This record gives sequence, C-alpha cells and structure tokens, in this order.
Amino acid sequence: MNFNEIYNKHYKKLFIIPILLVILAFLFIGNHYNKTGDFINKDVSLKGGVTATISTSQIVPDLESFLQSNFPESDLSVRTLSEFGTSEQIGILIEITNIDDKILQSLLEEKLGFDLNQDNFSLEIVGSSLGNSFYKQMLVAILLAFLFMALVVLITFRTFIPSIAVVFAAFSDIIITIAILDLIGLKLSTAGIAALLMLIGYSIDTDVLLTTKVLKGKNIGSVTERLINGAKTGLTMTITTLVAVTIGYIVTTSSILKEMFLIIIIGLLVDIISTYCMNAGLLVWYARRKNGKV
Amino acid sequence: MAKFKIPIRVWILLFALVLAFLAINPTPYAEGIQIKSVESGVATENGLAIGQIITHINGEPIDSFSEYNEIINSLQNKEQTITLNTGKGDYEYNITNDIGFVLNENLTVTYTDVGTPVQVGDTILGINEHEFTNLSSFNNKVNEFLPKKVYKITTNKGEIAFLARSFPELRVGEAAKSNIKKGLDLEGGTRVLLKPISENTISQSEIADLIKVLSNRLNIYGLSDLKIREAKDWSGERFVLIEIAGASQEEVRDLIAQQGKFEAKIGEEIVFEGGKKDIPFVCRNDGSCSGVSSCSPTTDGYYCIFEFVIHLSPEAAQRHANITNKLGVIVSENEKEILSENLDFYLDDQQVDSLNIGADLKGSETTSIAISGPGSAPNRDGAIENALNNMDKLQTVLITGSLPFDLEIVKLDSISPLLGQSFLKNSIIVGLIALLGVACVIYIRYRSIKIILPMMFTILSEIILILGFAALINWNLDVAAIAGILAAIGTGVDHQIVIIDETIKGNSSQYSNWKQKLKGAFFIIFVAYATTVAAMLPLWNAGAGLIRGFAVTTIVGVTIGVFLTRPAFAAIAERLFKE
Repeated sequence: MNFNEIYNKHYKKLFIIPILLVILAFLFIGNHYNKTGDFINKDVSLKGGVTATISTSQIVPDLESFLQSNFPESDLSVRTLSEFGTSEQIGILIEITNIDDKILQSLLEEKLGFDLNQDNFSLEIVGSSLGNSFYKQMLVAILLAFLFMALVVLITFRTFIPSIAVVFAAFSDIIITIAILDLIGLKLSTAGIAALLMLIGYSIDTDVLLTTKVLKGKNIGSVTERLINGAKTGLTMTITTLVAVTIGYIVTTSSILKEMFLIIIIGLLVDIISTYCMNAGLLVWYARRKNGKV
Repeated sequence: MAKFKIPIRVWILLFALVLAFLAINPTPYAEGIQIKSVESGVATENGLAIGQIITHINGEPIDSFSEYNEIINSLQNKEQTITLNTGKGDYEYNITNDIGFVLNENLTVTYTDVGTPVQVGDTILGINEHEFTNLSSFNNKVNEFLPKKVYKITTNKGEIAFLARSFPELRVGEAAKSNIKKGLDLEGGTRVLLKPISENTISQSEIADLIKVLSNRLNIYGLSDLKIREAKDWSGERFVLIEIAGASQEEVRDLIAQQGKFEAKIGEEIVFEGGKKDIPFVCRNDGSCSGVSSCSPTTDGYYCIFEFVIHLSPEAAQRHANITNKLGVIVSENEKEILSENLDFYLDDQQVDSLNIGADLKGSETTSIAISGPGSAPNRDGAIENALNNMDKLQTVLITGSLPFDLEIVKLDSISPLLGQSFLKNSIIVGLIALLGVACVIYIRYRSIKIILPMMFTILSEIILILGFAALINWNLDVAAIAGILAAIGTGVDHQIVIIDETIKGNSSQYSNWKQKLKGAFFIIFVAYATTVAAMLPLWNAGAGLIRGFAVTTIVGVTIGVFLTRPAFAAIAERLFKE
C-alpha cells in the first residue's frame, strides 16, 4: 500500500486519527483543569515566585529535600545545568514559590558554604499578581494570534472549507501539544507560551503549502499526486526544523531556550499528524467534491 | 558556458549586507577600556565622559582591565604622617589624598573627616611645627604635602590633561567590540518592573514625572548605564521598566523600593523636607563636607557615623528659627546646654536619626546643617563602607526628593555577568551545530553541494542583517531576541526549501516558465509570512511588553527574509540551475 493509495481511497479514515487525538486531548486538558484549576502547568514566571541560578560545580544532592523541609508550603524544583559535551555541572537552577528571596539566599549561602553575589548568582522574582495577569494576557495573545492567522488564511484562499481545514489543523496541533505538555508535566513560562505561538507559524507553513499545491495546481497530475508532491516539500521543511531544534534542545544551556525547543519539537511531531492526516484528508475530500460537482 | 552576471536582487542583498556591516561596525580588536561612569569634577570639566575608551593613562598603554587596575594602583598617593599643631595641643595622623578637615578664614576647623583627630571649633596653628598666619599660607603648606599632580588620560576622543590631588573615580569595563548592544541576559545586570501604588488611576504625565525622578535618582547614585521606560499592559495597568547593566539587585532595590520621603522634624513640626525646594545644596563627593565622622567598636563589630552638610533654603531656615524659638533650654547628660526637643530625621516615616540642638541655635536662621546617620559591620572597614553606602543613598534621596508614588517591585531579574557570557558562547555553538544539522538534512534530500552553499550564504546574510538592524535601532540583544532570530532563521530555511522544490525540482510544478514557478513559490512564502507576523503581533503588549523583543526580532527577521534574502536566494538558484 503506498501513499497514493491511502490518499485516494482511505482519506476519510485518516481524519479519524487527528479527530480522536483532539477529543482525547480535550478530555485530558479538561481533567487537568479540574484537578489543578488550570489548562497548563505554570512555572514561576506565570505563577509568581523566585528563580535562582547559582553557578557552581559543587554538587549538592540533598538540596531539594533541604529546601522542601525549610519551605514546606512552597512548590519547588531543583535542576542542575551542565555544559554541552561534558557531564560537568556548571550550575544549579532553583524554582520556588511562596518565598522571600532574601531568606532563600541566606539559606542557600548557609547550605553551600559560600557567599552568593553578582558573579555567581542570578535571580528572577515575579510577584504572584503579575504572574497571574501575565498568564491571562498570554492566553488572550494566543487567541488573538489564532484569530489573525485565520483571517489571513481566509483572505488568501477565499474559500471556506480549505481555510477551515488549515485553521483546524493548526488548532489541533496546539491542543494536542498542550495535552502532551500536561502529560509530561512540563511547566510553562511566558517563553513557553511564545513557543506555542511560534508553533502556529510553523504549523501554518506546511498547511498553506499543501493547500496551495492542491487547489492552485489544477492542470498537473491528479489531486493525490499534487498532494504527495507538496507533502515531500512540507516534510523536508518539518524535518529540517526538527533536526535544528532537537540539536538546539540538546546543546543549549539556557533553560528558557530548552523549554521553547522542547515545545516546538513536540508541536512539530504533532503537526505531521495534523497536517498529513487532517488537512491533507480534508483537501482531498474538498477537491473531489468540487470536481464532482463541476 | 554563459557569462556569469550577478543578478540585481543579489546586488541589493550585498548592498544591504554592507550597510548592516557598517551599522554593526565590528571591531574585534578594539583596545582599551570604556568608561561606564565618572564622578563629576576636574576630569569631567576637561572633557572626560561616559562611553569614551581609555587607551593610555599618563602615557602608559591600557589594553585590559588588569592593566588599568595596575596603573590606578600605582597612581595611588602614599600615606604620610603629619603633626598638626592646634590650640589644644599636637595631633599626629596619616593622610593620603586629603588633609581631612576644612578651615575658615580664622583658621578654625569647620568640618572634619573620618580618622581626623581634630574637632570642629579647634584652631590650627601649624603643621609639622610650621606656623601659619592666614588661610592662604595654610593652603600653600597643604599643597606641599599633597601636591596636585598632572594626570593625562588619552581616550578615543583625544587627550586630556588636568591637575588634581588624586586620580578621578571611574567605573570602567572592557571596550565594546561592536555596535550591537548586549542585553541584560548576556551582559549581566538588573531589570525591575515597578508598579506605582495609587488609589486613583495613574495618568501618562504622572508616569513621566515618576520616570524623571527615578532616572535622576539612579543617575545621581552613579548608575548611568540604564534604560528606563513606561510599560503598559492590556488591562491598562501602567508599569515602569528599568534595566541597569552592571548593577547589583541590592543597590537597585534599595534605591527604588523606597519612596524616599525625607522629613526633618522638631516634635511634630516639619522643618524641612528632601528635594530642591528646601535643600538647594547637598555636599557630595567632597571630602571636606561629607564623609564618615567617627567609628567605634561595639559588642558585635563596629559602628560608624557618616556626616554631610546640606544648605537650607531661606524659607526652611526661617521655619527652623520659628520652631526653635518656642523651645526651652535644658542641660544634656554630658552637661551641655541644648534645646528641649531634638531635630529628628525621618525617611519614609522611619526615624533614621535624632540630633541634639545646641542652645546657641535657638531662634537662629540656620542655613547649613550637618546630616548624620549610621553604618555598621563586623569589621571597621566594612562599617565605614556601610556608612558611606547609606550616606550615598540618603544624599541621593535628599537631592532628588521623594517619588510621586510608592513603588512595588512586581518583577525583578538579576543576571550575573558570568552566566550571561557563557550563555552567549553557548548560543553561538547552538547556532553553528544546528546549521550543520540543517546542511546535512538538505544534502540527504537533494544530494547537491550546489544547493547547500547558497542556502548557508542566505542564512548567514539573514543573521547579519538582523544584527545590523538591531545595531541601527539600538535594540538590545537578549534571550528573547536570540529566540526570535532562531525562529526567523527556521522560517527562512523552510521557505528556501519551498523555493528549491518549486523551481529547481520544478518538474512537479504546473508551470514550465521559471518566472511563474517562482511566483508560485513566493505565493506560499507570502501567505506563511503574513500568518507568522499575525501570530506575533499580539505579543507586542502582552505581559507589559517583556517579550516584545521576541516578537519584534521574529517579525524583523522574517521581513528581511521575505523582501531581501529570499529573492536573492531565488536569483542565485536561477543562475545556478536554470538550463
């Protein structure tokens, strides 16, 4: 069985995969919302709290339990940072809520046994009310971005069903990605939400390509041939980006970039499903129906 | 083979690259060190200013921070011991840059510094048994002990020479190697987002006032490498965003977290307040009227007292006269005649100090007052430094007056410079390896070096153009901007693949004509471009504009790509592959 055959005969079955995934994702996110009161896991930049980065090669295995016992009310995570290519630790990253940073700093100094100053200590503090309003604004930003994007697509193709197909593909990409992020327990920061927006852009690229190839290339080959041609280009695009972003994820030492890269990796993988099952299937269906009528 | 002509679109790209290069102005071998801040005085009067690059001091070349420190250390004056002959007897003490006290016309001491044993009111008869008859002969003698020396500083703006007792106080850093401004994430420093606290809604002009006082305060404190702007979010809330390179979070926090409402009260009555209206002059950076006046050991360390002179306006002096007139005279514990109430100093409603008022000041229009306050630490040097820091902050507050609002720090980022540097290095490595990965994928798909080379050229041009644009508009390069550059480059690679597939591998295309094939490719590219821009626009103001950098860099990047580099790439591809 080749792709041509799949798209020719079984395209309707293809819908089932992404639709099922979207439903599952909705259920999962809903469940997450019920349990935690939010669609996503928020990190301290959206929830309020302190992020402290200490540059040190000193390994403190019990730091997390030490902090947790001192601040039982706080949500906290401790990660180590290491330079790419070596397993040598270059720093420790602590995220913690409900805390005064001065108390944290003096406790850390006590635990580590050296002074924390401008040279070895970075600090990010977000007030909880600000974190909350950031979060709300970022959600609105995603909605607006979606709306603008849909508008651009609609103006471009001026036909309802293909436009809806593009928008729906992008939408299912974001929803399934968020569900996966919930599943693996990744905490999102403002940068993570920006990465979701970036994902809209990347996701749309391939959808627009497919739609253009199928709808505008009327005099060359069959619908499925054109589709497979477009898919070749689209997959090359997605795979190059995936390779670049995966390398970035492995090599970078910045926690912000790591988070963004991971979200894009997941999103691009999901995009392959949503584009080549959902969008491609809808396009074939639309083209067939239109041809049949004409 | 046909003659190879460079297409016009490639010319345009090359021209843009030259412009970007000029804007970035890379000077990887820039020598010397750059002035980050300088105390005002003789040196600034002669033209020394922030941003200049020091290349020589007194003829000695300066290439690095350590060389600078070495020279500064060698220029330090030597400590010397002098004997002061006064009406009360002889005092022996050490001096380095300053004699440590100030005399009036009658050779009476009016002010003393840390460690100077003489007291205000003493009469100076001579130094090292050399007697004086008047102030000018005293000054001549001081010049003998503490000669003014010629200092020559050569900067990129020319050479200046001046006479001074000691080398001016500078804060310096390594010279910038290009016009690209490194943001806080890469250079280290402190960023705070402040929310004014007010019951009423805050207007545009009130925020402007607040920013004026804040920047004035930070400037006077010596934090000059700073950016301060208003930020607004969707709910209409107004914030002030401050970024200061090289400053520690403690300094910044202390300076802006306090409203700085300074009041001097006798009883419940206000004599004067901080700000120009009541205090036209605050002595600062002048050892003759500001400094640490005494230090003493305590049970758990040292306790020092700073002191500096301020001048009161005639109105404030009048108030002082009126209020003190009503007070009675009592005898203090050390048997001095003082007034029945103290002069109390309050900073943000907290009492910072309380002074006895001498009985002779009753009803007098005092125009000059010494303000004092404490500093403490486990050791003496620490206590002096602490006292001097406290003094610096209090002086700053007295000069600038109070802020129109109390401020809440809603977000604070303090990035260590070392982490910043390693982040920049790491980002470059990420970029290079990712580029290599992209080249591999492209080679596997197309099996042609001829495709990879123009592609890499296009990607590099895009990076240079984005950086050039950033340098041109003074945009700071930070984590958000780097993420934006990566996003733009990623889109760029995608679009180049579209161009390749639609043209070179164009057998699938419906068009036989190259021009039409290209049109097909650019249709897809423009739609994708429009959607990316549409998706980024909402980030402009979200979250008080803190991730605006990401949105702007992405938009700028893809715009440059769509209008400059991708057309050039298409033109190169046409030359290389069109049969």
